Amino acid sequence: MTPVPVLSTEKITKTFGSVAAIKEVSFDVRPGEVHALCGENGAGKSTLMKVFSGQHPFGTYEGVVRVGGKTARFRDVRDSEEHGIAVVHQELSLIDSLTVAENIALGKFPRRGWRIDWPATSALAEQTLSRSRVPISPEAKVSDLGVGQQQLIEFARALAKNPRILILDEPTAALTGEEIHALLEEVRSLRTRKVACIYISHKLDEVKKVADRITVLRDGSSVTTRAADSLPIAEIIKHMVGREIKDIYPARGESKQGDRLLEVRDLHAESPFDHHVALKGVSLSVHAGEVLGIGGLMGAGRSELLMHIYGIWGVTRRGEVIVEGAPYFPRMPSESIRRGMMLVTENRKRFGLVPRESVHRNLSLSSIHAVAPHGKIDHVAERTRNGEMLEKLQFRALSADSQARQLSGGNQQKVVLGRGLLTDPRIVLLDEPTRGVDVGARREIYEEIKRLANEGKAVVVVSSDLSELIGVSDRIVMMNEGTTMRSFNAAEFNQDQLMAAALGK
Amino acid sequence: MPNDADYENRRVSLQSLAMPLILAGVWTFFAFANQQFLSPRNLSMLMIELSVTATLAIGMLLIIVCGHIDLSAGSGVGLLGGIAAVLLFHGHWPSLAALGLAMCAGIALWSLMGLAIVRLKIQAFIITLGGLLIFKGLFWLVIRSSTVPVMGGEQANLYSLLTTWYVPERIAFVGLAVVTAAITWVSLRDRAVRNEAGLPVDSMELIALKTLVTFQTLLLAVLICNLYRGLPLSFLILCIVGLVVDLVVRHTPFGRYLYAIGGNEEAALACGVPVSRTVITAFSIMGAVVALTGFMQTAYAGASTTSVGDLMELDAIAACVIGGASLKGGRGSVLGALMGGLIMASLLNGMTLLAVAPEIKLIVRGAVLVVAVLLDVRFRQES
Repeated sequence: MTPVPVLSTEKITKTFGSVAAIKEVSFDVRPGEVHALCGENGAGKSTLMKVFSGQHPFGTYEGVVRVGGKTARFRDVRDSEEHGIAVVHQELSLIDSLTVAENIALGKFPRRGWRIDWPATSALAEQTLSRSRVPISPEAKVSDLGVGQQQLIEFARALAKNPRILILDEPTAALTGEEIHALLEEVRSLRTRKVACIYISHKLDEVKKVADRITVLRDGSSVTTRAADSLPIAEIIKHMVGREIKDIYPARGESKQGDRLLEVRDLHAESPFDHHVALKGVSLSVHAGEVLGIGGLMGAGRSELLMHIYGIWGVTRRGEVIVEGAPYFPRMPSESIRRGMMLVTENRKRFGLVPRESVHRNLSLSSIHAVAPHGKIDHVAERTRNGEMLEKLQFRALSADSQARQLSGGNQQKVVLGRGLLTDPRIVLLDEPTRGVDVGARREIYEEIKRLANEGKAVVVVSSDLSELIGVSDRIVMMNEGTTMRSFNAAEFNQDQLMAAALGK
Repeated sequence: MPNDADYENRRVSLQSLAMPLILAGVWTFFAFANQQFLSPRNLSMLMIELSVTATLAIGMLLIIVCGHIDLSAGSGVGLLGGIAAVLLFHGHWPSLAALGLAMCAGIALWSLMGLAIVRLKIQAFIITLGGLLIFKGLFWLVIRSSTVPVMGGEQANLYSLLTTWYVPERIAFVGLAVVTAAITWVSLRDRAVRNEAGLPVDSMELIALKTLVTFQTLLLAVLICNLYRGLPLSFLILCIVGLVVDLVVRHTPFGRYLYAIGGNEEAALACGVPVSRTVITAFSIMGAVVALTGFMQTAYAGASTTSVGDLMELDAIAACVIGGASLKGGRGSVLGALMGGLIMASLLNGMTLLAVAPEIKLIVRGAVLVVAVLLDVRFRQES
């Protein structure tokens, strides 16, 4: 006999207008199990989570939610928390300007009379962090921490609520190597504490490592629920996309390399604000028609390198950047665009999109002058041109007039990519191009990368995912603590050696 | 002229029906409260007052759309109107030169404020709050806290005519015909071009309806004005400023940049938008608009006195927000600011007509501002 599930749903349906985001989803979590939820963007995972977390309160959906066998009607988030459900959202919710301790105590500061009891606050934070073995000082300011550490704090904070069910939404999206490892270890240890976990992730190998059971959602319906052992990754993907994707990476063709388009020599750069020296001797070069992969751990300086070359991060202290044979001193993105560069940033929300503007206007932003010959925008030419770009990138949202923030991660990424491509770049810098992008769209982005290289552009791809780097690159350079380690040719690609280089060995 | 925004924001335009309804409510109230409200004379006065309020609001729109704010506009109205009046009355300058110099001063001062905001990275709120105080002090220095008429003698000049000259009846009708013909031609041509490119277009009926409504509104305005003295010159100035700014925000790269900066400044910068240049340009245009408003407001008062321009920045901000602009930036339209300006001007005009005490007038204006911002927040939550 199976034990009473800690959380279960029966035929949950939630509609927005006439569109059903989830349709009659039945789902259950057993005590102490890690239940992974997989599905493409827009498959309904977030909607289901919001039903559990009380963000979609009782009455706004059809069907029944049960906690420990009893019907639950959550009025709001707090109500759901009182039932023992804690959520760690994909978007970090820590306040940058406060310390770790203050963030942990926020909303429930220990008091002494009317004043905050600071020693008790520290103790509370200390206790919270130690319970989940997070090696972070409670006195550290959140803005000084990396995304990975912040994620671990969120995790600790959720655990401190003593939940019966912990929901993790893409917990490793911003993490690398060690940090992922540490987090997965934490998730596994939940079992011994009898905390059930719903684990949402695009990273299927992690899901396989950590989950007891896996449920796949597609187009709002639950397609299958199986024990993780009996569900190979290929089959998960097949369920997710409804068709078989044999090889997610396009076949490696003969790369025809041309001139050296971008070269970086012994580059040192630091942030003008906190004087953090993120780049300490970076040297690399990229040729026309080549895809150069850059790997490394979080904090190795990969993103800073791309952002620095493009002119949105840091000041040069030593070394030089050479663009098409001529020295370049990066200062402004507008200048970099004129010199033939484009950048797809890792932080789409911050640097990539104007969230409330339409897809169409976002697409045009970098290249509007090309369709405004006499200073007046030719709306028809602009529409036509943007429409062709969307088609080329297999953009699949309802309309080019929807607001950018309403799109799925994959479609957003295509908008960012398309906006850059409309500037007709020769050097394409891509920082984590598939972050938060579902499997189907991911493959299309890989194909586009291949196509760009074949068109004779120099492409640089930064990724935390080694298999992705190996899949798309012609050559890989690993970075460690701000310096470039050795460069690997396609013949030498080997996960272990790449990892060793990332660790500085 | 239908442009992309019209196709993109069809849902929003339904929302904007709220404004005409509020306006109708305000007008109905005043019409019943005082017979004089709908008289041709008062409506002509209202039109001049609208010209002043709405012109400033349209300038303010540029600043608000790119996520900034200008608190110094009201003081600037007094200062720039005062400079022109002093040059004319005490300096015996020709009116055109006096107005020209004051306008150059406006553009220079506002460019400087824009430069300070982007270079020193100090919030517009602080810089223009400084401007508010400094310009007010300069203003009182310039006019020596006295009353400076806008006429050097009995002879009317360009300055004084701004709010006392009216377009003759016949010319107004000819102008109306030309404008209607132009609107029809442009929208038909635009439709044909879009059609050819396979893009969505308005139906012929909708175009006819839009043109008809525009034509009737303008015709009504001209007819009412002609019952009094004709179309006020200041109203023409408002139309021109409105048309130019509308063209700029909807059909130029500069306009796109304004919205993008207001929507997400860091992303705009990373997309290659010349953020500093765009913000400074917006402020320098604002300088010119403040000068124009200053001339009209001072001319309407007949002389530059220490209270000219008081609190006008708040009317302008309120007009923008009532008209759908977001104080966080990235949203707003000229038509909205115009409607907002009309609501604010109608309120003031009606209350003056009812001889409402100045204390109460202030309270009502304040209440309207708060309610408008409340609506703004509510709308943002819903969308």
